Amino acid sequence: MQEPDLRIRVGLDVVGVERVARLASEHLARFDTVFTRAELDYCAGKRRRDEHLAARFAAKEAVLKAIGTGLRRRMQWTDVEVVRERNGRPGVRLHGEVAEEARRRGVGRIEISLSHAAGLAIAGAIAVAGA
Amino acid sequence: MSTTDVHKAVQEAVVGALGVTEDEAGPDATLMDDLGAESIDLLDILFRIERSTGVKIAASDLGDYIQGGIPDDRFSDDNEIITQEGMDHLKTIMPQIDEGLLGTLDAEHVIMHFTVQNLGDMVAQRAGAGAGA
Repeated sequence: MQEPDLRIRVGLDVVGVERVARLASEHLARFDTVFTRAELDYCAGKRRRDEHLAARFAAKEAVLKAIGTGLRRRMQWTDVEVVRERNGRPGVRLHGEVAEEARRRGVGRIEISLSHAAGLAIAGAIAVAGA
Repeated sequence: MSTTDVHKAVQEAVVGALGVTEDEAGPDATLMDDLGAESIDLLDILFRIERSTGVKIAASDLGDYIQGGIPDDRFSDDNEIITQEGMDHLKTIMPQIDEGLLGTLDAEHVIMHFTVQNLGDMVAQRAGAGAGA
């Protein structure tokens, strides 16, 4: 296992809501390659669907940055899934190659925070080293 | 679809997704560095290419194409710097890469050198359009 450089690593990302809205209007049928079914269902039920989609896309980017990798090899966007914890806060669940890469890099836990305002969706992720 | 048609479709996808001119989206323009494409723009480009050519390319396929099946520990060293073997491969798919970058080029940053031409070549290869130019 590769030793982590630090005990924690931070990732941030900002996505324009309008950019996601345009992509959704033209390619919604292909969004299943980017978002999990649960993510799509959650956002579809929201009045401001595109803000929630944009925040989730930003979160996927932020998580990859916190892990310290770009989307490469066999990684899929759906390998990073934003979920709702029991307390209502957003959490993240890793799958597939991204989960494997996080393990290789010694990441034990990832915390995320999402926000949107003024047409921008913002996500922060903190990867914490652990066993 | 001929290779020429594929390259035209790729250029149109880049122009449509990024809102740049055809001149700006010339073969030598790098998608991320010169044209300012971000991850979500790459998705848009790939979705547009799929719609116009029928060739499905996932975002992660770009990384696979760049690495060319070379195992991680041979493509880059422990510090993620591209090895000689990695550079030899890159020269075959991204001939514009400056060999002077050997020893300093980070594996994560290779994508910054990926051009409209490189993307067109990748799509043409996937489309099996090599003989149609």
